[in-house]
Amino acid sequence: MAASNMKAIKRRIKSVESTMQITKAMELVSSSKLRHAKERAEQAVPYFELLYQTMSEIASEANGFHSVYTELRESGAALLIVMAGDRGLAGGFNLNVFRQADARIKELEAQGREVILMTVGKKAAEHYAKSSNRILAQFENIGEDVTTYTTLNMAEKILHLFDEGHLSIVEVFFTNMVSPLVQEPRQMTVVPVPNLERASGVQSLTNYEPSPEAVFDSLIPKYLSGILYCAIVDTYASEQAARRMAMENATDNAQEMIDDLSLRYNRARQAAITQELTEIVSGANAQG
Amino acid sequence: MNSYQLRVITPEKIFFEGMVQRISVRTTEGDVGILAKHEKYAASLPSGLLRVLTEDGTERLAALSGGILKVSPEQTVILANAIEWAEDIDVDHAKRSEEDARKRCEQSKSQHDLERAEAKLQRALNRLRVSSMVK
Repeated sequence: MAASNMKAIKRRIKSVESTMQITKAMELVSSSKLRHAKERAEQAVPYFELLYQTMSEIASEANGFHSVYTELRESGAALLIVMAGDRGLAGGFNLNVFRQADARIKELEAQGREVILMTVGKKAAEHYAKSSNRILAQFENIGEDVTTYTTLNMAEKILHLFDEGHLSIVEVFFTNMVSPLVQEPRQMTVVPVPNLERASGVQSLTNYEPSPEAVFDSLIPKYLSGILYCAIVDTYASEQAARRMAMENATDNAQEMIDDLSLRYNRARQAAITQELTEIVSGANAQG
Repeated sequence: MNSYQLRVITPEKIFFEGMVQRISVRTTEGDVGILAKHEKYAASLPSGLLRVLTEDGTERLAALSGGILKVSPEQTVILANAIEWAEDIDVDHAKRSEEDARKRCEQSKSQHDLERAEAKLQRALNRLRVSSMVK
């Protein structure tokens, strides 16, 4: 009986070990992808900061500045761009962003607004496959090597709808990588352009050609594309960080299980030896 | 000649950072040249050629795919959608996207599609033109 018990334990150790090899490999893959994604996320920052700064300057310097992209609209649907991963096995990463987006959809619908969706990532497409909302576009497997051409196309698609008066608000749901250990789902309003600092009464010293409004409006597609690019890169980095963490935990758990099983195996082995000895000794005694 | 600080930035990377004597570039209103101590200025840039005369007097050409130009006393910045030095342009690739864009122009169903295809064609032609200028 002891021998069969030992065999079963041995088999379980083997199976846990092979699982651990997989989780360990996934952990390593994710950490290398994470490093790459983090670099890309950081490289996008100077461009975007300057773009935003220029827009703020135009909005504050130009007298009587006004643009359709900064004004609130009364009518029109809300476009929600939801960004998630292409794969699972990343802890609560995908779920967290869906929870936030779903709550917002309910809120908007309760206000009687139409909600249109745009999804980035296979998991987001799956999540909203059965929803009753209209889906404008779906993008899959773009996180790893997204380019500005992709995001500029997305931005143009969105602005085309906006310019025709179908949209009143555009929001992005993505995951921000605060640190390799902390990823937070975020919601951001992109159109109408929020929080442009406007210092009133400052005379414009910059010569805008052809006009401040024209320069500002020509920045809008770049701004939107820039936000989408940053959000996609950030979400991708978060996905890798979340997966790395989930896999690290899984590896640790597997190691713990192996330790526990090894202990049980050794006990069973010891018990078997003890029993055998007892049998030999009692056999010898009986021979006496 | 006086020189000034120029930065050319794309979303992917900082393309160029350094002192230059002069740049010339096409804006939506026409060609402009920027020397040191230019007044504060901003303009949007369509696809076109960017000429940079660096501090040591060498001239470099680049194909710019849209962006904006911003001149301030501290520095001059070009925020480019995409940009490539003339010598780095992949001519075969540009030719392929030219063909692709022409096809799309013919097949486009809506005004919006047509505009996008034309913009793509324009970018491809610009790259081919700039690349041929250094050979």
